[in-house]
Amino acid sequence: MSTQVLETPSQVPAPKKNGRVGGGLLDPRQLIRSLPDALRKLNPVTLWRNPVMFVVEVGAVFTTVLAVADPSFFAWAIVVWLWLTVIFANLAEAVAEGRGKAQAATLRAAKRDTTARRLRSSDAVDGDVVGAAELRPGDFVVVEAGEVVPGDGDVVEGIASVDESAITGESAPVIRESGGDRSAVTGGTKVLSDKIIVRITQKPGESFIDRMIALVEGADRQRTPNEIALNILLAALTIVFLVATATMQPLAIYSKLVNPGVPDSVALTSDGVTGIVLVSLIVCLIPTTIGALLSAIGIAGMDRLVQRNVLAMSGRAVEAAGDVSTLLLDKTGTITLGNRQAGEFVPVAGVSEAELAEAAQLSSLADETPEGRSIVVFAKERHGLRERELHGAEWVHFTAQTRMSGVNLGERQIRKGAASAVLRWVRDQGGHPTDEVGRIVDGISASGGTPLVVAERGRVLGVIHLKDVVKQGLRERFDEMRRMGIRTVMITGDNPLTARAIAEEAGVDDFLAEATPEDKLALIKQEQEGGRLVAMTGDGTNDAPALAQADVGVAMNTGTSAAKEAGNMVDLDSNPTKLIEIVEIGKQLLITRGALTTFSIANDVAKYFAIIPAMFAAVYPGLDALNVMRLSSPQSAVMSAVIFNAIVIVVLIPLALRGVRYRPSSASKLLSRNLYVYGLGGIIAPFVGIKLIDLLIHLLPGMS
Amino acid sequence: MSTTAAGMIFIVSLVLALALVHKPLGDYMHRVYTTPRHTAVERWIYRLLGIRPDTEQSWGVYARGLLAFSLVSVLAVYGIQRLQDKLPLSVGMAPVTDHIAWNTAISFVTNTNWQSYSGESTMGHLTQMGALAVQNFVSAAVGMAVAVALVRGFARSRTEHLGNFWVDLVRGCVRILLPIAFVGAVVLVAAGVIQNFAAPHDIATLAGGHQAITGGPVASQEAIKELGTNGGGFYNANSAHPFENATSWTNWVELFLILLIPFALPRTFGRMVGQVRQGYAILAVMGVLALAGVLLTNAFELSAHATVPQAVGAAMEGKEVRFGVSNSATFGAVTTLTSTGAVNSFHDSYTPFGGMMTMVDMMLGEVAPGGVGAGLYGMLVLAVITVFVAGLMVGRTPEYLGKKIGAREIKLASMYFLVTPALVLIGTAAAMASSVQRASMLNSGPHGLSEVLYAFTSASNNNGSAFAGLTVNTPWWDVALGLCMAFGRFLPIILVLALAGSLARQSPVPASAGTLPTHRPQFVGMVVGVTIVLVALTYLPALALGPIAEGLS
Amino acid sequence: MKRLPSLLRRHLAALRAVAVLTVLLGLVYPVVTTGVAQALFNGHANGSIVDRDDRPVGSALIGQSFTDADGNPIRKYFQSRPSAAGDGYDPTSTGASNLGPDDVVDTLPAHGEEGRQSLLTRVCARSKAIGELEGVSGARPYCTPDGVGAVLKVFPGHAVSVNQACPAKPFVTAYKGLEVECAVPGEDYAAGRTVPIRGDAGPPQVPADAVTASGSGLDPDISVAYADLQAPRVARERGMPLDQVRDLIRSHTTGRALGFMGEPAVNVLELNLALDGK
Repeated sequence: MSTQVLETPSQVPAPKKNGRVGGGLLDPRQLIRSLPDALRKLNPVTLWRNPVMFVVEVGAVFTTVLAVADPSFFAWAIVVWLWLTVIFANLAEAVAEGRGKAQAATLRAAKRDTTARRLRSSDAVDGDVVGAAELRPGDFVVVEAGEVVPGDGDVVEGIASVDESAITGESAPVIRESGGDRSAVTGGTKVLSDKIIVRITQKPGESFIDRMIALVEGADRQRTPNEIALNILLAALTIVFLVATATMQPLAIYSKLVNPGVPDSVALTSDGVTGIVLVSLIVCLIPTTIGALLSAIGIAGMDRLVQRNVLAMSGRAVEAAGDVSTLLLDKTGTITLGNRQAGEFVPVAGVSEAELAEAAQLSSLADETPEGRSIVVFAKERHGLRERELHGAEWVHFTAQTRMSGVNLGERQIRKGAASAVLRWVRDQGGHPTDEVGRIVDGISASGGTPLVVAERGRVLGVIHLKDVVKQGLRERFDEMRRMGIRTVMITGDNPLTARAIAEEAGVDDFLAEATPEDKLALIKQEQEGGRLVAMTGDGTNDAPALAQADVGVAMNTGTSAAKEAGNMVDLDSNPTKLIEIVEIGKQLLITRGALTTFSIANDVAKYFAIIPAMFAAVYPGLDALNVMRLSSPQSAVMSAVIFNAIVIVVLIPLALRGVRYRPSSASKLLSRNLYVYGLGGIIAPFVGIKLIDLLIHLLPGMS
Repeated sequence: MSTTAAGMIFIVSLVLALALVHKPLGDYMHRVYTTPRHTAVERWIYRLLGIRPDTEQSWGVYARGLLAFSLVSVLAVYGIQRLQDKLPLSVGMAPVTDHIAWNTAISFVTNTNWQSYSGESTMGHLTQMGALAVQNFVSAAVGMAVAVALVRGFARSRTEHLGNFWVDLVRGCVRILLPIAFVGAVVLVAAGVIQNFAAPHDIATLAGGHQAITGGPVASQEAIKELGTNGGGFYNANSAHPFENATSWTNWVELFLILLIPFALPRTFGRMVGQVRQGYAILAVMGVLALAGVLLTNAFELSAHATVPQAVGAAMEGKEVRFGVSNSATFGAVTTLTSTGAVNSFHDSYTPFGGMMTMVDMMLGEVAPGGVGAGLYGMLVLAVITVFVAGLMVGRTPEYLGKKIGAREIKLASMYFLVTPALVLIGTAAAMASSVQRASMLNSGPHGLSEVLYAFTSASNNNGSAFAGLTVNTPWWDVALGLCMAFGRFLPIILVLALAGSLARQSPVPASAGTLPTHRPQFVGMVVGVTIVLVALTYLPALALGPIAEGLS
Repeated sequence: MKRLPSLLRRHLAALRAVAVLTVLLGLVYPVVTTGVAQALFNGHANGSIVDRDDRPVGSALIGQSFTDADGNPIRKYFQSRPSAAGDGYDPTSTGASNLGPDDVVDTLPAHGEEGRQSLLTRVCARSKAIGELEGVSGARPYCTPDGVGAVLKVFPGHAVSVNQACPAKPFVTAYKGLEVECAVPGEDYAAGRTVPIRGDAGPPQVPADAVTASGSGLDPDISVAYADLQAPRVARERGMPLDQVRDLIRSHTTGRALGFMGEPAVNVLELNLALDGK
C-alpha cells in the first residue's frame, strides 16, 4: 500500500446529494420525445419478451376486431384505452432508455476518429501513423501533449497530466505515469503535458468508451436474476388470471341460462360475457402496472449509477450491491481524508519547534493542497504564526518529478516533501542529514502517519507529522450500515495499533491491518464461504484478484487497466466513499420492484369490485351490493377501471425512474413502511381513482 | 348457556388442547424424522422391503420412490375393490364398478377420500380395512414425508440428500399414526362407535317395522380417517352417522384428532431448521386463518340467513341434534381447512355464505393448517412466495431460512400455486359447459353451480368433502374428478420435492439486520394477506356466480 | 438399458411395501383394535343394541321411525325428526337431503310426471302437519297457510305463486300492484324473478329440528323443545299425567357434554321404550 501521499493527485470528493440516494427528475418533454420509440415497441416480435404487456396487446388487437365488427362508442373507447395501456408501458421503457441515450451522445462526441503514432516496440524511436481503429492489443503508441489518447492502455514510459473530462466530467487534470497504480489511460482523453508511451490493451471496438456507450444505452441489457425471478412470478399471475377469466365464461353462460327473464346487457349476453368486457377484465387483473414498469426500473437503476459517475458492467452487479453484507473499505480516501493534516512538528536536535513551525509555514503559504493548508492552520493554532504576505518570494511548486514544494525567499530556500526527495535535495546542497531524521520519519510512518521532511538549504529542520483525519459523518453512515445488516471492514497497511485507533474513531466493525493483497483476497474468500456477499473498491493492479473475487468490485477510474478489467463497476470520480451509495442504489432497485409489484397486485381488489357487479348485477341484482364505489353504470364501471389501469402506469413512471424513497434502516421498518404505502395504498388508491374517473366519464354518451 | 356461548367455549377448548399437545408431539415427530436409529419392527420391515434404510436419496430418487409406491397402491386398492366378492368379509357386496373403483383408488391414495359411492351399500369390511384404511395411513405418511423432505431442504446445505422415502414412510406409519390411531379408536369405541366384523342384520323396530343394523370395523377406521386428515367415511353419512360419531364429545375428539398433527408439524419444522420461532410463525399463520374460517362459518350458520333457514328458524337442515348448529359449523370449517373432508353435517344445505366458507377454506390451498404434511409444505410454498415479494421490498435478494429465493425456486413455487386453481376452474368450466354434466346437479341456479365448483375444489385440493347433492358416480365425473385428484396431489408433490432439492443444494446465507425477519407478526400478517389475496383474486369470479350470488339475493 | 433394473427394483420395493403395510395396518391393526374393543366395551363395540323382553328392538344410537305402515305417526310415541335415509331411518342408505338453503321453487306434478318438492315446501308441509298433530299453529315465515313455500315468480305484467297449483287460492292477491295467480302445472315460469314472501308469521311454534332432515338420516335425538311439544299428545294418548311424561323426557335428556359440547338432546327410542315400560 502506498503511503506516499504527496504523489496522490489531490481529490475532491464528489458532492453528496443530500447524503441520500436521489434521482433525476422527469422532464415532461422527455415523454413526448420518447413517443416514437414507444410506438416502435408495439412490434409484437419485441413485445413478447414482456408476457404481461404482450397479453394486453393481443387483447387490444382482439377488441379492435370486435369493435370493427360491432362498433359502439363504448367498444371504441375501450379499444383506445387498451392500446394506450400498451403504449404507456412502452413509453416508460423508452423514457428510461432515452435518458441513457443523451448520455451516450456526449460520450460519442469524445470518441472522435483519431490517429495514432504506432511504435514497432516500446523502445523504438519513431513509428507509423495509423487510424485508432487499427490498433490491436499489445501495440505501442506514443502520445504527446495536445494529442488524444487513441485507445485504452497502460503507460509504459513517461509521465503526463491528462484531461479526462470527456469521461469523468471532472475538469481537473490527473497524472498518469508508468508503473504503479496510476498507469491506465483511456481512449478519448487528452494529454496536456509531457509525452508518454502507451501499450494498448483494448480490442478494436471494445474500448472503455464503447462499453460505456453500450451500457448507458442499455443496448446489451440483460435481465438480472431477481428480474428474471419476478418475471416468472408475473407470468404465473398472468396465467392464473387468464384461467380465472376464461373459465368464468361457461359459468356466465349458465347463469344467464338459468335467468331467462333477464335481457342481454352490454356486458352479458346469452353467449356469456362480451369479448370487450372480458378483455377489459383480464387486462385489469393481470399485473400490468409492474409489467409495464419492470424494465424501466432496471434501466433507471443503472442510469442512477451513471448519474453518480459509476459504470456497472452488468445489472447483476447492481443487484448484488443490494445484497452486500460485508463492505471492505480502504482506509485512505474512504474512511480518512486522502489528504492528511498536520498534527505535530517534530524538530531534529538543535532546532526549536518554533523554528521548524516557521519554516514549515513559509514553505506552505502558497501550497493550496489540503495538506499545505493544514500546515498553515496548524502553525497558526499551535504556534500563533499568522499568515503573511511575502514579497519577492519565489514559490517552488510540487511536481511529479521533484516530489517537493517550497519557497525561495531571498537567501532562504525552504523545501518540504517526501523524505527521500528532500534528503536528496539536502545532500545535493551539500548537507549531511543525520540518522535522527530517518528515525523520526520511520517512527511517524510506523504510527500510521505521514512524515514530511522540512529542510532549509542543506539542513534538515525537522519533520511534519501528517495525521489521518477521519471523514465527518462516517460514524453515522456506518451505524446506518449496521442497521441495514452490513458489516464494515477497514483495510489498511498501517500497523494494528494505528489501525485500531482509526477503526474505533470511524466506527467500523472490524479492520484488517498491515493488509497485503493476498490478505484481502483471503478475507473476501472467508466472508463468501460464510454465504456473505462482499463489496470492495480498489485501484491497483495487485487489487485485481480481490476485485475479481468480490461480488461487487468497484474499480477506481484512476486505477490500472487490470483493476478496471477485474472489477464489475468503475467509479469515474474515483471516490471510494461512493461504495456506500452504490449499495443504496442496489437496494433501491430491488425495493422499487417489490413495491410496485405489491401495488400492482393490491390494485386488483378494487378492480374486482368495479367489474364483477358491472358484469353480473343484471342476472343477480344482489351482486350490486359489491358495487361499493356506487359506479354509475356497468359501462362506466368497466371503462373507469380500464382507464385507471392505463393512467396509473403513466403516473408511476417518475417513481419507476427515480426509485422508491430509501432510508437506511432495518428490514422490518423498511417493510412496514413499504407495506403501508404500496400495499395499503395499492388497495385504497384505485377505489378513489376509479370513482373519480367514473364521476368524470359517466356523462359521456353510451355510458348508461 | 346459550348456543353461541357453548359453541365458542367448544372452539376455545380445542385451541387450548392443541396448545397443550403440539409441543410434545411436535418434538416427538422431530425425533422420529431425525434419529438415525431404527426400531426392531422397522428393521424387520426394511428387510422385507429389501431396502437399505441408511442410504440417503436425492430429490429425484425420493420422488420416484413415492410415485412408484403410489402407483402400486392405486393398483392394489383398485384390485381389492374389483375382487371383493371373492375375498373374505365381503358381507355380500358385489364387485365395485370399474369407474367407481378407479375413482376410489385414486381418491384414497391421494389422501382426498372423495367418495362417489355409498360405503354401507358398496364396500365389504375387508375392502374398508385392508384397502381404504391402509391408504388412510400411508397417504398421510406420504404427505408427512414430503413435508419433512422440504424441511430438510431448508435445514441442509450443499447436499443432494433429502432423506430416504421408505424410511420416512414407515416411520410415519409405525411411530406416529399407528399408536395415536389405536388410542383414538379405543376412546371412540368407549363412546359407542362400533368395532366388529358383523354383517348387517335385521331387527324388528318398536313401531313394528324392520331396520338393518350394520356392523364393521368402524372405530379403527374412524380414528385414522380423522388423524390422517383423510375423511373417507365408513358410511355415506360419514361423521354424521351415530356409529361413526356417537356423541357430542366424540365430535370433539374427532376434531382434535383432525387438527392434532397439522398443528404439531410446524413445531417439528421449527426444530428441524433449528429455529423454533420460525415454526411458530408458520403456526401463527395457520392459526389465524383457521380461527377466522371457523368463526366466520359459525357466524354465518348461526345467523341462519337465506330463505329456508329463515323459514326453519335455524340452519338445521342436514345437521344432527346432538351436535347442534355451532359444533357442526366448526366441524365443517375444520374439515375443509384440513383437507380432511369428513363431515358431521351436510354442506350442501348450509347457508349460502356458510357453504361458501367451506369452499374458501379449501381454496386457501389446504394450508390452514391443511392436511397432514400437505398443509405444511403448502404453507411453506406460500411463505416462499411472500418472502419473494416482501424480500424485494427490503432491498435484498429474497431469502427464507437462509436460502435464496431465486428464479428456480420462484418458478417451482409459482407452478405449485398454479396447479390447483387451474384444475378447479378448468374442471368447473368444463362441467358447466355441458348440459349433460349439469344434469348431475341436484339444485338449480347459483346453488347448482356451487355444487360443481365445490366438487372440483374438493377433488383438486385433495379434500374429499362434497356439496353432496351432485350425482357423481357417472363415468365422466369419476374420471374428471379422479384426474383432478391425481394431478392435484402429485404435481404439487413433485414440485415441492424439486424445490427441496434446489434449496438443499444452496449454501446458507447468514441472517443479518438487513434480512427480512420471518418470525415476526409482521411476516405472519403478510403471509395471511398474500394467501387471502391470491385466493380472492383467483376464485372471486366463480364465487360471485355461485355462493355470493345466492347469498346476496 | 441400465434404467430398467432400477425402475423394476423400485416398483418391487413399492409392491413389497404395499403388501407389508397392508398386513400391518389393514389386518393386524383392526383385528387387535377389535379384540381390545370387544373385551373392554362389548356393548358399545357391537352397536349399543337395546332389548325389550330380550329381543333387540334397535340401537340406542340409531334413530327409528315411529310411524305405521302407511307412514302416519303412531300417536302414542314420540316422533323422530324427518329423515332422508332411504324411506326414512334406513341404515343401508344413510345421508341428508342435500337441498340448498334457497331451494324454494317446486316442480309441480303434471302430465304424469312426479314433480319435486323444494326444501322450503317440505319444511312448510312438515310444519303444518306437526302443528295439526300437536294442536298448535304450524305457521312459519315464507310458508303459505296451505303448507307450501310462499314464493312468487314476478313477470312484467303479473306474478305467479309458483308452489300453489291451480286451482289453489294464492296466498296473496297482489304483489306491488301486480295480480298474483296460481301456478299451472307444467308451465315454465323460469323467466320470472323469484321472490320469496316472508309473510307475517311470528316465531314458529314447531321447533327447527322437527321440520328439517338430519345429516345422517339416522338422528336418534330430538331437541328438548320438540319433545316438550309432543308431551301433551303422548300423555293424552297414553292416559298418563303430563308431568310424568315430562319427567321421563328430563331423565332421557343428554345435556351438553362437560357443559359446552353439542346441544341437549332427547333420545327418542329410549324415551319411547321407557314409556312402554310404564
